[in-house]
Order: sequence, then C-alpha cells, then structure tokens
Amino acid sequence: MENIEKQVQEHAKKLLAEGKADVIIGYEKGTLPSQTAPCFITDPDDAGRLVWNRFCSVNLAKYAHDIIFRHKESQQRTKPEERTKKVVGIVARGCTTRSLTIHLQEKQYDRDQIVIIGVPCTGFIANKKISIAVDGREVVECSVNGDSLSVKTKDGGKDIPLRDVLADNCLTCRFNNPIISDVMIGEAAPPMADAEREYEGIDEFENLPVEERWAYFTKEMGKCIRCYACRNACPSCYCKTCFVEQSQPKWVGAGIDETDTQVFQIMRMFHTAGRCVDCGACLEVCPMGVDLRKFLKKLDKDDFQLFENRAGESMDSLPSLSVYSEDDKEEFIFEP
Amino acid sequence: MTEKANENWEPKIIAFVCNWCTYAGADLAGISRLQYPPNVRLIRLPCSGRVNPFYIVKALQEGVDGVLVSGCHPGECHYISGNMSARRKFALLKNFLSYVGIEPDRTIFTWVSASEGEKFAEVIKGVTEKVKALGPAQKLVKKL
Repeated sequence: MENIEKQVQEHAKKLLAEGKADVIIGYEKGTLPSQTAPCFITDPDDAGRLVWNRFCSVNLAKYAHDIIFRHKESQQRTKPEERTKKVVGIVARGCTTRSLTIHLQEKQYDRDQIVIIGVPCTGFIANKKISIAVDGREVVECSVNGDSLSVKTKDGGKDIPLRDVLADNCLTCRFNNPIISDVMIGEAAPPMADAEREYEGIDEFENLPVEERWAYFTKEMGKCIRCYACRNACPSCYCKTCFVEQSQPKWVGAGIDETDTQVFQIMRMFHTAGRCVDCGACLEVCPMGVDLRKFLKKLDKDDFQLFENRAGESMDSLPSLSVYSEDDKEEFIFEP
Repeated sequence: MTEKANENWEPKIIAFVCNWCTYAGADLAGISRLQYPPNVRLIRLPCSGRVNPFYIVKALQEGVDGVLVSGCHPGECHYISGNMSARRKFALLKNFLSYVGIEPDRTIFTWVSASEGEKFAEVIKGVTEKVKALGPAQKLVKKL
C-alpha cells in the first residue's frame, strides 16, 4: 500500500508538472487518526501530501463534478472562443470510477476533462465500526498491520481484525478495481470474498412482514436530522437545485414532521435508482448512523434483477432509467 | 384525512392518467353509461411518462388511500416510448415502496387504451375494492 501511495504521488506530480491536469483530487492525512480528508493539489511540489490507505473513504468523484461544474459556470460570461476547460486528475478506486462513468454517461463533462489515476482497492475502514469496537472512546492512534487494525485509545490499545471494521459495502464489493483509468497503479486487487452474498441482507428483509419493514424504516428515518450530508457526499446527487430546496413547487416540508423526512429519504434514494454505485459515501458521512444501505441496496438489487444493469459497470451500460426495453418485465401491472 | 375506518368510510383514490389513452377510455366509459365507483379522482397528464414518481409519493403523503397510474399499452404510446420509460420507473418505485413497508396495493399501475371503456370501469372497480380492503392509509400520511 505504501508503494501505491508513492506511485500516486509520483504520477500526480508528473501530471501537474507536465500540465496534463490543472488539479489533482486525492486524499491527505486528516485531523483525526482514523480519517483522511480530500485534498486538491495544484502545485507539483505539494504532491507529497497525497496518501493512500485504508482510511480513504469518501468518493472523490463528487469533487471532480463540483470543480468542473463550478468552472463551467464561472465562464458563462466569457466569449465562447476564450473559454477554457478544467482538467481534473483524480485518484480513483473501483467505486469512484463507476461514479465517474455515470457522470460521463450523463454527459456532465467530457472524457478528456478527467485524468484517472486508478488504484486497486481492498476496502476502506468504516469509522463507525471503529467507534463501536472501542465503545465510543476517542481514538488516539490508528494503524493497519496486515490483517488487523491496531487502535489506541487513552485507556489502552486494541487489535481488531480488519474484517470486522471494513465498511459493509466494501465487504461485498464486486468492483474493487477501476473500470476506466488513464494510469493504473499497482496490480489488480483480488475480488472481495463476500461479493456473491451482496443481496443476502436484502432478501432477508424482503421476507419480513410488511409491518416489521415499516417499523424498521420509520425507526431508521426517525434518526435522520435532515443535515443532507448524504446528499452532499453522494456523487450521483449533483442537481443544481435539489428538490428539498425547491420552493416552487415545494416538494417536501422542511420542518420536523416525520413524514417529510421519510418522503425526503424515499425520494433521494429513488433518485439514485440505477445510479447508486454502493460506494458507501452517504453512510460514512451520516452523523446519525441511519441504515441507508438497507434501502439503497434494494434499488440496486431490483435494478440488476429486472434490468440486468449494475450502475456504472461499463461505459456501454447506461443507467437503467435512462433507457428502456420493449420486453421489460411487467408482472406488477394490474389487470382486472 | 385520517378518519377512522367505519362502515361509511370510502377510500380516496388519485389516478394519474394519460391524455391519449386512459382519459379517452374514461370518456368512453362515461359515454357508454358504465357504472363504476366514484372514489377515483382523475388527473390528466400528457403521458404516463410525465408521471414523476414524486407525484405518487407526494399523493400518499397528502393522505390519499391509493394511487392509480394508467397509460397507453406498451407500443401504443402517443410519444412512441413514454410509457416504456415509465414502466421502468414504476417497477422500481412499486417494489421500493412495498419494501419500505407501504402496502403494495396502494400503488397500482395499469394500461387502458382509448377503446377500452369497459376495462376502465373494471379497473376502477378493482382498484377501489383493493384499497377498500386495506382500509384508510396510515403510513407516510402527514398529519395536519
């Protein structure tokens, strides 16, 4: 992994020095030992700040979209012949490249506007799982040694098997290697062991009685404080004006009414149908630990089972709601 | 909107219908003097593809007991493919709403063409019966 980190830095430096990218989006050391922060490198000499480790959790595709879009907007009053393109270099693992693929398919920017530094990934560590493992105590030091994570708190240390702290979406990941890349670093990572069991929890939940499902849904949504962190972190949520902020029409109330929260969550999740890449960004940023994945994964499962599509798996398979087929299944259609 | 279920309770159902097929079908049912329950309020839209899934969720939140969406049969869309894009959205939405715990019979999708006045009356009868069997909507309903 350190080797990969070095190569990421070298490539970033080279891209910036040769002028092939205006900015490199990557991860840098965070202020907390168990976290990394996204960083934006424009000076080749700063490339040393980039890191690559198990704590790199956020999906950087979000920032690529943001930067390119802001730049485009800032040029609205520039003469067309004088407009410039922003080229963004991005350190991308499998799920990040899937998000980038979706952006490209949805024509958010051109392929030549992103330079993808592909890195193999073996899963990131979910911060919430660390907190649970150390009973919410403050983590002073954190490091990965082989297959275990050693955490030091003020009261002492603890070794946790890596499997227990890896994010759920990483454990069942099918796409841990980049789908598309301009530079590929290191060797392809081996597939995750549980990939075939990705819909296990969903099947189980589907078989519960309807009242129990509703009880679980309302319990989870009851935690939501409507901070919109999930939306802000989601690379597929890039609308200029999100429906929650729209006032004409006012789709969803902003008060404390619980049904407003439920409707917000249902619709936000539904808007990512066929586009959610299961990167875990929303789960990682959620301050309340809402189990969004239980519901997002259902959309993913239906998407695959009904339309044989996995979001962003290749440039040719478009998001399933932007295409149609004449022989789509229609068992759900009511015939009197 | 959340009156208790009693003998006199009648469900409120919103139907989003396509201008070219189902609305004309409803017209035909009327012209043919076919009887069907008066619980359904029709909202005419250009195409079933115009039905934003949000309309359905919003209608449920505003307290309707059931939502019906009806358009042209696949392959007969006035706009060539509107209903086929809609079909994909509805398939996911219906599954998703029932997954989170809303009774599947509260959201019903069907196709009725302009010549199927009789089928329209049958659909409305069927939907009303289904929703009646479920009783008044409680979930997702905004209490005022």
